Amino acid sequence: MWHGKDQEWVMNRAGYYVLLIIIVFGLGANWVIEKANNSHGIPIIKPVPQFSFFNQRGEPFTNENLKFKVTILDFMFTSCTGPCPLMTLNMSNLYNDFDDVNEVQFISITVDPVVDTQEQLREYAELIGVDDDRWQFLWSDMDAIKDLKKDGFMLFADDLPQGHAIKFVLIDHKGNIRKYFDGTDEASQKVLRNDIANLVKESRS
Amino acid sequence: MQLFRTFTILSTGLTYLLIFIGGMVRVAGAGMGCPDWPRCFGRWIPPTRLDQLPEHIDPAKFNIVLAWIEYSNRLFGAIVGLSIAITLYLGLKHCSHLPRIKWALITAFLLTLFEGWLGSVLVDTVLNPLTITLHLFFALIIVMLLLFTSQEAYYLINPNAESKSHYPSEMKWLFGMMAFTLLVEVVLGTEIRGGLEMIRKENPMIESQFLIDMLGPFKYAHSILGFLITILSIFIWHGLVKRSMNPSSLMVQTSTSIVLLILLQIVLGEILVFFEVIPLIQLFHLWIASWILGLVSVQYVAWQRSRVGYE
Repeated sequence: MWHGKDQEWVMNRAGYYVLLIIIVFGLGANWVIEKANNSHGIPIIKPVPQFSFFNQRGEPFTNENLKFKVTILDFMFTSCTGPCPLMTLNMSNLYNDFDDVNEVQFISITVDPVVDTQEQLREYAELIGVDDDRWQFLWSDMDAIKDLKKDGFMLFADDLPQGHAIKFVLIDHKGNIRKYFDGTDEASQKVLRNDIANLVKESRS
Repeated sequence: MQLFRTFTILSTGLTYLLIFIGGMVRVAGAGMGCPDWPRCFGRWIPPTRLDQLPEHIDPAKFNIVLAWIEYSNRLFGAIVGLSIAITLYLGLKHCSHLPRIKWALITAFLLTLFEGWLGSVLVDTVLNPLTITLHLFFALIIVMLLLFTSQEAYYLINPNAESKSHYPSEMKWLFGMMAFTLLVEVVLGTEIRGGLEMIRKENPMIESQFLIDMLGPFKYAHSILGFLITILSIFIWHGLVKRSMNPSSLMVQTSTSIVLLILLQIVLGEILVFFEVIPLIQLFHLWIASWILGLVSVQYVAWQRSRVGYE
C-alpha cells in the first residue's frame, strides 16, 4: 500500500506524530491522575489542645505523643455494654489491618476513671488482644477528661460515663483534628480506612 | 464516499481515545465520581459547589475532580457514539450493497449503545468487576469492527492494494490464535488489576511490590500467556515478512510494530511487577494491548484481501 521513498518518508513523519501524541496523552493522563490523587484532601478542623494523661502502664501520654503519628481516638469505658463493644470491635479491626504501618496509632480514653483504673485498663487491653503500643488506653481524673472531651474535641460530656459519644476522631501527624466518624457504623469504617491511608501518605510526603 | 472514509478513520481514532480515557477513569479511581447515571448529581453539567447537590445524595460522595473525570468519559462516549452513528448513516448510504461493511457498522453501533447501558450498570452496581471487564471487552470488539470498516473503505478506493502480495496460506490459524490469546490476556490483566484493588482495600497501606506477590495464579497465567503471545508474534512476523512473496509495506510495518510493542509491553509489565504499580504505566499497558489487537485484526483483513478475488 506504500510505494517508494516518498511514502517511507511520510511513514517516518507519521511515526514522529504518533510519538508526540503519545507523549502529550501521557502527560495529560499523568496530570489527571495526580489531580485525582490529590483530590481526597481532608480539611483541618482544629488542633487537639494540650493534655497530660497516663496510659495503661502508668506512663505519661500527652498531646505531644500525637505528633508524627496518624491517630484514631475514641472515648469509652470498659464496663460499657451499649455501643462500646461494637466500637471496640471496629477499632480492633483497624488495629489488626494497619499492623504493618508504624505511623498509625489508636487511643481509647476512658470516661469512667473510677472503675477503669490503670490496672483495669491493662487487663482490658490484654483481653482484646492488644500486645503493643500501637493501641493505648488513657486515663486521668474525671474533670480533665470532661474538659478534653467537651472543649478539646467538641463532643458532649454531660452525663459521663453513660452519655459518652460513639465517635472515632481522626487526628493527623501534626496533632490536628481532621474528621469525625461514627464508630459503630460499617459504611463510615470504609471511608475511615481510606482517610487513614491518605493521611499516612500525607505524613510521608 | 471520501466523507465516509474520513468518518471510518475518525470513529476508529476516537474510539481508541475513548479506551484511553476509560482506562484513565479506572486508574484515577474516578469510576464512582458521579453516583447517578446518565446525569451527574442530578445535573447535566456536573456541580462545582456543594450547595448544587440534590438533597437525596450524601454530600460526602462529592469530589469535584472525580466527578469531572468520570463525566468527561461519558461526554466523550457520547461524541464517539455520534461519530459512529454518522459513520453508519454514510455507510448505509454508500455501501449498502456490501454486507461486510453494512453489518460491521450496524454491529459496532448497537454495541456502542450497549456500552452506554453497561456504563449505567457499572454505576448501579458500584463498579462490579465482571461488568468492568465486559465494558472493556466490548470496547475492544467495537474498535476492531471500526478498523475493519476503515480498511474495507480504503480497499474500495485502492482495490489493488494487496493483489501483488502472496502470504502463506496457513496464517489464518496464527491470526486466530493470536487474537484469541490477546483477548484472554487482556481479560486476565483486568482480573489482576481488580485483584490488586481488593487486596489494597484489605491492606490499605501495603507497599505495591508486596501487592503483586499476593496475587497468586493469575499473575503466572498472565506471564505464561505473554510468553506465548511473544512467540506467536515472531511466527507471524516470520510468515508475513520472510516467507511471503512481495509483502505489502503495511504487512511488514505492522509485523515489526507488533513485535516491538509486545517487547514494550513486557518491559511495562515487569516494571509493574518489580518496581511499583504506577497508574500511568497500568494505563499504557492496557492501551498498548488494544493497539496490538487492532494491528493483528488489520493484518488478518489484509491477508484475507490478498487471497480472495474482490469484486
